[in-house]
Amino acid sequence: MLVVNGLRANVGEKEILKGLNFTVAAGEIHAIMGPNGSGKSTLAHVLSGREGYTVTAGTATFNGQNLLTLEPEQRAQLGLFLAFQYPVELPGVNNTYFLKAALNSIRKSRGEAELDAVSFLRLIKEKLKILHLDDSLLKRAVNAGFSGGEKKRNEIFQMALLEPKLAILDETDSGLDIDALRVVADGVNALRSSERSMIVVTHYQRLLDYIQPDYVHVLAKGQIIRSGGKELALELEEKGYGWIDAEGQAA
Amino acid sequence: MTGMISNGFSHWLTAAPDAHKQLFELELPTTKAEAWRYTSLKSLLEQNFTPAEDAANAIQSDDLNKILIPDLMSHRVVLINGRYVPELSALGDLPTGAQIGSLRAALASHSEMVRSQFNQYAFNSLFTALNTAGLNDGVAVLLNRAVVLKNPIELIHISIGANQPQVAQPRHLIVLGDGARATLIERYLSLDAAIYCTNAVIEIALGRDAVFRHERLQMESENAFHLTGLSLKQNANSHYLGVNIGLGARWSRTELVTNFAGEHAECDLQGLYLAGDGQLMDYHLDVTHAVPNCTSRENFRGILCGKGRAVFDGRVLVAKNAQKSDAAMSNNNLMLSEGAEVDTKPQLEINADDVKCSHGTTVGQIEPEKLFYLRSRGISAPLARRMLCLGFAGEIIHMLHEEVLRDYVAEHVGQRLEFSATGLS
Repeated sequence: MLVVNGLRANVGEKEILKGLNFTVAAGEIHAIMGPNGSGKSTLAHVLSGREGYTVTAGTATFNGQNLLTLEPEQRAQLGLFLAFQYPVELPGVNNTYFLKAALNSIRKSRGEAELDAVSFLRLIKEKLKILHLDDSLLKRAVNAGFSGGEKKRNEIFQMALLEPKLAILDETDSGLDIDALRVVADGVNALRSSERSMIVVTHYQRLLDYIQPDYVHVLAKGQIIRSGGKELALELEEKGYGWIDAEGQAA
Repeated sequence: MTGMISNGFSHWLTAAPDAHKQLFELELPTTKAEAWRYTSLKSLLEQNFTPAEDAANAIQSDDLNKILIPDLMSHRVVLINGRYVPELSALGDLPTGAQIGSLRAALASHSEMVRSQFNQYAFNSLFTALNTAGLNDGVAVLLNRAVVLKNPIELIHISIGANQPQVAQPRHLIVLGDGARATLIERYLSLDAAIYCTNAVIEIALGRDAVFRHERLQMESENAFHLTGLSLKQNANSHYLGVNIGLGARWSRTELVTNFAGEHAECDLQGLYLAGDGQLMDYHLDVTHAVPNCTSRENFRGILCGKGRAVFDGRVLVAKNAQKSDAAMSNNNLMLSEGAEVDTKPQLEINADDVKCSHGTTVGQIEPEKLFYLRSRGISAPLARRMLCLGFAGEIIHMLHEEVLRDYVAEHVGQRLEFSATGLS
C-alpha cells in the first residue's frame, strides 16, 4: 500500500529526514516511535503534503502512485488521512458543513454521487456512536473551544466518516488522560480492517497497549534505526531512548 | 452636485430652507479633512447627478417576487428611487400604537409628534443637508410606549436607473416610545446596471427601555454610489443592535453617530464588509458616552480581495463625568490579495477615570494551517478558502436574527467570494 524509499526531507536548510525506508501492506499497523526531534511529525507531514518541507531525495508511493507530487486534497481523495497532533480550530466553520464538504469532495473525486442531506445525517449519527460523541458536536464550529480530548475524538470521528485506506495518527495520545485515551483507541480499533492500514506515530509505548501494532520502527535523528515487532516497544519503554541511541551509535 | 437638490416640493417643510441655506455654508470635504483622509469624493463628483425620477411603475409584483427573501415574514415597505410605493408595500396587521408609512405623508399630516422629531437627531454634514434639502420620501416608524412588533419591518429600497446618473435621497425616522421593541431590516439594491447614487439619512430615537434591532443590507449594484448617515439617540436602559452588511456599490460610505442620553443604555454595532476590485467600503462610527454607565460595542469585519479598499474609522468619546463607561471596539480584516488595501483607525478619547475601554484591530491573511487542515480532508483549495472566509464572516452573519436572512446573506457572500476566487492565489 505505502512504499517509502530513501526519503530525505528538509525544513529550510536543515535536513530532518535522512533516508527512510519502510513498507506498509494492507491491513497492517505500523508504530513509529522516537524521541522529540527525531523527525516523527515531519514524516507524517511530508506524507500528507503539508507546506514547508522540501523532499530532497527518495520516493513515497501509495498504491503505485507517486504521493509526493500530489496536492494534500488529492492525497486525501486517494484515501490518505492524517489525524493531527494539534487539530486546528476553525471558528465560524460549522462541523456538519465541514464534514459534508469533505465527504462529498472525496466521493466526487471517485466518481460517486454526493450524499444528500438525509443520507448524510444518517451516516454521521451512526459514526458518532463509535466515538461516544454527542449530536451537539454537529452544531458547533470545527474544534473551536473543544477540549483536548474532544479534539482528538473529533479527529478519529472524521476518520470513521471518511473511511481512509491509510491513516496516519500523529501523536494522537498526547494530552489525553487515560479515559480519553481508551475511547480514542477503541474508536481506532473499531476501524481496523484487512484493507485499512495505519501508521501510529507516538513518543510513548502507552498508546500501543491499546492499539496493538504489527510492526514498530524506532526513529532517531531522521533515520529508522531499529524495526521489529510489538515487543520492541516494550523493550524501548523499559530501557528508554538512551538505550537505542547508544545501540544505534555502537552499531 | 447641485443636481442632488431637487426643487420646490418640500416648501412645507421648515427644515428644507435651512438646509438649502446650510448647503452654501458647508464646504465639500477633501482628503485634507481627517474624516475624509482615505476617501476621495472625486469619482462621485465626476458624475452629473440629477434627482431620481419617480419610477414607481417600473416594477411589477412579479419583479418584486425575485427580490423578496423567501419565508421572511415582515411588515414590508417598498421604496423606489426614494419614494414610498404603497402598491408594492405590505404592512400587514400592526398593533395599536404602531404607525409605519411614508414619512412625507406623516409630515404632511398634522402629526405634531413627527414634526417635532424630524431632523432633530441627524448630525450635521453636507450630505445630511443635501438629503434634507432634496428629500424624496422615506419611512416613518412610530411606536408608542410598550408597543412590541413581533415580525420585523422590512424596508426595501430599489433604485431604477435612467440614461442620466440619478440620485435618490430616502429619509427615515424611527421613534420608539418607552419600552417599545422592534426590528428593522433595511435593504438597498438595484435591478439594473445604471450609475446612480443613494444618499440615505436615518434618524433613530429610542425611549427608555426600548429595544431596537437594526439590520442593514447594502447590496447596491456594482455601479452605485451609496451614502448612509445614521444618527441614534438612546435614552436610559435602551438597547440598540445594528448589524451592517456591506456587499455592494463601487463607492460606499456609512456614518453612524450614537449619543447616549440616559444611563445603562447599550449600543452594539456589528458589521461585515466585502470589498472586491474597484470597490470602496468606508465606515465611520462615532460613539459618545456623554453619561455614566453605558455600554458600547463595535465589531466590524472585512474581507478584501482584488484591488478592493476599505476604511474603518471608529471613534469612542467618553465624557468627563461618564464614569463606568464600558466600550470595546474591534476591526478585523482578511486580505485575500496583494492589491487590496484597508485603512483602519480605532480611536479612544477617554476623559473619565473609572472606565473599561478597549480596542483592537487586525489585518491578516488566511492562515496556512487552517487551509491545510481542510485540504487534508479532501477539500479543494478554492473551496477551503471560501469556507474559511465564510467562517470569518459568519461571526457577523450570525448576529442576524432570522435564519432565512442569515442564509440569504451567507449565500451572497459565498457567491461574491466565488466570483473573486479567480483573483486568489
